[in-house]
Amino acid sequence: MSRLIAMAHGFWFVTLILTALALVAGGANAQQRVTIGIVTAMTGPLAAPGKFQLNGFRLAEEEINQAGGIAAGGTKHLVELKVYDTRGNAAEGASAMQRLASVDNVPVVLGEVLAGAAAAEAPIAQDNGLPFILTVSTAPNLTEQGNPFLFRVNAHNDHLTVALADFVAKQGWGPVAFIAWNNDTGRNGVNGMRKLLGPQKMGYVGYFNTGDVDFSSHVTNIRTSRAQAVMLLMDEEPGSLAIKQIRDAGLKAHLIGTLAMGSDRFLKRLDAAKLDGMVQYNAFPPNVEVPRIKNFAQRYKAKFGEEAHGFAAQSYDGLMVVAAAMKNAGTVNDRKKIRDALASIRHDGVIGAIQFDKTGQANPPVYVTQWCSDGRRRVIHPDSMKADCGAG
Amino acid sequence: MPEGFLEQVINGLVMGSIYVLVALGLVLIYGVLHVLNFAHGVLFTVGAYVSYFLLMRVTGSYALAVVLSMAVLAVIGIALEHAVFRPLRGNLRNQVIASLGLILAIESTVVWIWGPNALQMKIPATQSIVALGELHFNVHLLIVIAVTLGVVAALSLFLKFTKVGTAIRATSQSAEAALVVGIPVERVHRFTFALSTALAALGGALLGPLFLVFPTMGNEPLVKGLAGIILGGMGSVPGAVIGGLVIGVAEALSTLYFPTDYRNSVAFMLIVIVLLARPQGLFGVRVRGED
Repeated sequence: MSRLIAMAHGFWFVTLILTALALVAGGANAQQRVTIGIVTAMTGPLAAPGKFQLNGFRLAEEEINQAGGIAAGGTKHLVELKVYDTRGNAAEGASAMQRLASVDNVPVVLGEVLAGAAAAEAPIAQDNGLPFILTVSTAPNLTEQGNPFLFRVNAHNDHLTVALADFVAKQGWGPVAFIAWNNDTGRNGVNGMRKLLGPQKMGYVGYFNTGDVDFSSHVTNIRTSRAQAVMLLMDEEPGSLAIKQIRDAGLKAHLIGTLAMGSDRFLKRLDAAKLDGMVQYNAFPPNVEVPRIKNFAQRYKAKFGEEAHGFAAQSYDGLMVVAAAMKNAGTVNDRKKIRDALASIRHDGVIGAIQFDKTGQANPPVYVTQWCSDGRRRVIHPDSMKADCGAG
Repeated sequence: MPEGFLEQVINGLVMGSIYVLVALGLVLIYGVLHVLNFAHGVLFTVGAYVSYFLLMRVTGSYALAVVLSMAVLAVIGIALEHAVFRPLRGNLRNQVIASLGLILAIESTVVWIWGPNALQMKIPATQSIVALGELHFNVHLLIVIAVTLGVVAALSLFLKFTKVGTAIRATSQSAEAALVVGIPVERVHRFTFALSTALAALGGALLGPLFLVFPTMGNEPLVKGLAGIILGGMGSVPGAVIGGLVIGVAEALSTLYFPTDYRNSVAFMLIVIVLLARPQGLFGVRVRGED
């Protein structure tokens, strides 16, 4: 009996060894993998834009892998994302970048929502010869630091506000008041608009810190300054609070916003009456009749069950640009070769053509959209794409 | 009076009311247990989340959700007093460290239960607007001020005219003497904690519908509440009320004359100025050998 038990144990042991060998052999034939670093805000006050950013990366990851991976150096490489939550905080961002560069040893990092965090991460990427691609931060000076390893897929504030300032000037709105982030993005945004509108059109300017939710003091100052329009340089969450407080206080001023305020999700936070007539710059109006945009919007909705967002489209393109650069460079590991390939790339993305200038800045198309009274949006810039409500 | 000035005073009274509710909780615990409970801010946050949960998932009535959240937080307060602060009594340093540790533990628990993203707490009072000349106010702003005034009045009467209130005042003056005359000091400690955390819950439940409910929403009220009790005088209930309101109004009015990014520093500039003139605060009593 005991010999029978021993034989049975021996049989299971041999089976286990054979199974392990089969798995190892199978693994040898499996595709290679490349791990790409992501820094974004998954928690904290910037979690909302961070979620759109990560969704864009996830969709690109899925589509690249469904297509067999990145073909480089004669091998296909499936993409894996190593994601760090920086909370949009400079110290946590710097720590995450250092870890990605030296511990995780990734060939490329993408992401970041807040300019302050990106500014802390970029020099660490440069010190480690690690390409870093921004997909959401809009402070113009980020790509003006002479960092050859830093690239930005999305348009920066100065690009974004040109068309908006032109629209505001044509409407004859003035003075224009501002509530802006108390950081590089906010202050640069205000300065950019001051240059475009002229100092005589500038009204009250107030700054708020990330996490602030009470805008009542700003609202009073806007009222007393008799501003005809208010520009809100902020994200979705504070944007919805500021608009509610402005409208609740009975202010009828025209509202001007950022691309964070041109989504169905933003509408759900408020209501159509509060947003009626508001204009905002946009990098990706998801309902516009352009095949690349419409196609992406459908794929995004199928995966995430919600309307596509500019931050997601920009981030999707960011990872696709990296995949194209790795393919062109013929490597998924050599950071320097990938950087050089990025510097000379020309990629047709869902947000438009992406080609970096000598500072690492791309110049994709920008749009201005306006909220209609029924809660839909329309495109009012560029002239060639002007469309009625429902196509913005 | 210029319109902007009046509007900023009302803005300041709203936030000042929230600071008062936090300051009252802090000053009660400080007065009776002689410890600064730095976890009071996260208990304020928990109060907001509990009222959100009760409103959206259980009662559907905001008033009932507020009252029940105060009851839930009172129970949490008793549990904290029993499990954390009582074993550490007599060691101020350890009590302060424990309260700091509680911040991390409670905040992580909040994120674990409700997630990191801000929640919207829509109630009818935030959708209704009342006009005062050219000025328009959300009705909930006026509710915050009215409820706080009511609570302050009720608390003052309670402390002055009830047996329990008298016991709290006696214990805050001298726990040993209170014990000698037969006051159950342990029960007073427990009750004070419950009252204090219930006030924190009320603050969170009132602030949530005005803005958003999010894991760090108690940070600013805690800092301003602390500033309020320092300004008003440590251990003084009237001082906490005046201190909280003065800070709220001063920071709102400051935005008429200074850039708004200086708003948060106004409270601390005020503290420096007041303490230079009156080291014991506006309503504090100077005790021989304490300064």
